Amino acid sequence: MSSPPVSDEVLIARVVVRDDRHAFGELVRRHQSVVRATLRKLLGGNTALADDLAQETFLLAYRNLKQFRQEAKFSTWLYRIAYNVFLADARRMKELPMPEDSDVDEMAQGDSGGASVSRQATLAVDLERAMSVLSDAERAAIVQCYHNDLSHEEAAVVLGCPVGTVKTHILRAKQKLKARLGAWAPG
Amino acid sequence: MRNNEIDGDDWLEQALRAEGREHGSAYIADDGFAAAVVGRLPPPVTAPSWRRAAVVLLWLCAAVAAVLIVPGLFDQAFRAAVAMFVGHRMGVADIGGVMMLLAAMTWGAVVYAMRTD
Repeated sequence: MSSPPVSDEVLIARVVVRDDRHAFGELVRRHQSVVRATLRKLLGGNTALADDLAQETFLLAYRNLKQFRQEAKFSTWLYRIAYNVFLADARRMKELPMPEDSDVDEMAQGDSGGASVSRQATLAVDLERAMSVLSDAERAAIVQCYHNDLSHEEAAVVLGCPVGTVKTHILRAKQKLKARLGAWAPG
Repeated sequence: MRNNEIDGDDWLEQALRAEGREHGSAYIADDGFAAAVVGRLPPPVTAPSWRRAAVVLLWLCAAVAAVLIVPGLFDQAFRAAVAMFVGHRMGVADIGGVMMLLAAMTWGAVVYAMRTD
């Protein structure tokens, strides 16, 4: 009979008290998927950079684990660190010249619409590309609320801003996405 | 999204929800990621192996020095303490027994302090 899985709280205590690296490795294994997926979304699918930033996220979490108050879920705390790491990287990258955004419709022309590709899948691809027109904060609000299934309140904690600001980011993001994906609107 | 404020028939809302569901169900395999993170952790802070022995030696030296600097004080203090607790003066044999007991306790404490984890 297998023993019940050890809770995150117990693993965190082992890391803080005994510097138990096996326990920290288990925490990383449990949460790596969502953290990496979140960063991939925030970075528009750049998996290599997302994984680098995910590593930075967990290293920062290890260094600051004593400050984790367990008022929020561990995953929410990790999202917040990941977002801060993402913002720091974005600030660094803004000092470098960025390639110009090409129009979503133009990009879609290259690989759109084989008969076997469903409408839903094509919309998902277009949506993914359209996310690039959003600001970092707007994209982060969409990722936290839709992809990580956080409430507005939880997203506000992760993003370090008021709930009203989260709602505003989502509203503006959806307006931009609607404008960008106008061809998908019914009627 | 758990805040259900927007019309569920909204095509963009539906698309975002669908993408969110896909995101939630897509598990990224570890593939050595956790091991790479653990490998990048700072090295554990460990005291040098000689530190514990040095601490014990210093305490022993301090104790011997204290006994040598104020001879007789410890004997008087010990006799007074025993007389206070036992209620009568002790002979040399009694004192020797107590000293042996203290020595054994000290030895035990030193062995405990020198143990390896």
